[in-house]
Amino acid sequence: MVWLLPLLFLLTACGQRFDAPGIGDQQEPALSGNGRLLAMVAERSGRRVVRLVERNSGQELPLKGLQWGMPHRSPSLSWNGRYLALILQRGERGEIVVLDRALGLLRPLPLPGDRLPQALSMSPDGKRLAVQLLHRGQQDVELFQLPAHEADLAPGTPLP
Amino acid sequence: MTRALGGCLVLLLLAGCQGQGLQPEMGLNPRLAQPGDDSSPSLAATGMAWIAPAPNGHQQIRWLDFASGLGAPLPGLNRPDAQPISVGVDRLGQRFALVRSLEGRTELLIYERNLALLRPIPLLPAGVPAKVALSGDGRVLAVQVSREGRWQVEVINLP
Repeated sequence: MVWLLPLLFLLTACGQRFDAPGIGDQQEPALSGNGRLLAMVAERSGRRVVRLVERNSGQELPLKGLQWGMPHRSPSLSWNGRYLALILQRGERGEIVVLDRALGLLRPLPLPGDRLPQALSMSPDGKRLAVQLLHRGQQDVELFQLPAHEADLAPGTPLP
Repeated sequence: MTRALGGCLVLLLLAGCQGQGLQPEMGLNPRLAQPGDDSSPSLAATGMAWIAPAPNGHQQIRWLDFASGLGAPLPGLNRPDAQPISVGVDRLGQRFALVRSLEGRTELLIYERNLALLRPIPLLPAGVPAKVALSGDGRVLAVQVSREGRWQVEVINLP
């Protein structure tokens, strides 16, 4: 049966795209736990901003509380999409922020020390962040806990 | 007395503020510290996949299990002649999506850890994949693709 799996992939791997008027390049995709929500960085009026799209409807969802004046990078979503982590680019420096969509609250999360964030990944429950960072010319990956976050769990998941 | 109380209050407020921010994982981060560049972290509930330096001077995809604090083998995933570019993992750390460069081609693949099985995902129409993400349930893949000089994001449902 295992030999059938590649054939199944060939038959079913059909792509879906979310182009829209006024949208240029689209990069850095991230998905929520069940794939319902897609976040990505899109070029809009010459600026790189995060788009959050509900896949079934194709509808773009509002991101209340997000700062739009600075370029956005590396979005990452928790399971239900309550938390959206991203990097806000302030000139040469990047700043990690998390948007709590349930509360409409943007929380800056400064990195300790003289380190520059390059890419993010948020855990499915939203309580942990992996950061690719640049420090003294080297790219490192480090892990951080986010104790202030309520867990954003998949339905049926036992509470920790 | 008033000054001492004020000092205590400031300390309490500072402690409260620190609790809201990033708390380094002191038990796990030393296991990630090594010479060479690391990139493309992807978190599961149970661990993390990322691209790390390999002993031969190239790079490889690695897995860190949070419960044990140890790496785990990924049989059939890494090749000494392939350069991984991006990796994404599902919630359980069983299914990986990856982009790698091999023999002048850039490929999009799915890796099933429990089957040690790696298989290509075709892009239609053809394009060059770059960054990849996988949903927590492992059923949906999103990939950044270059086509005719333009970056697009494509979403693929997986069986």
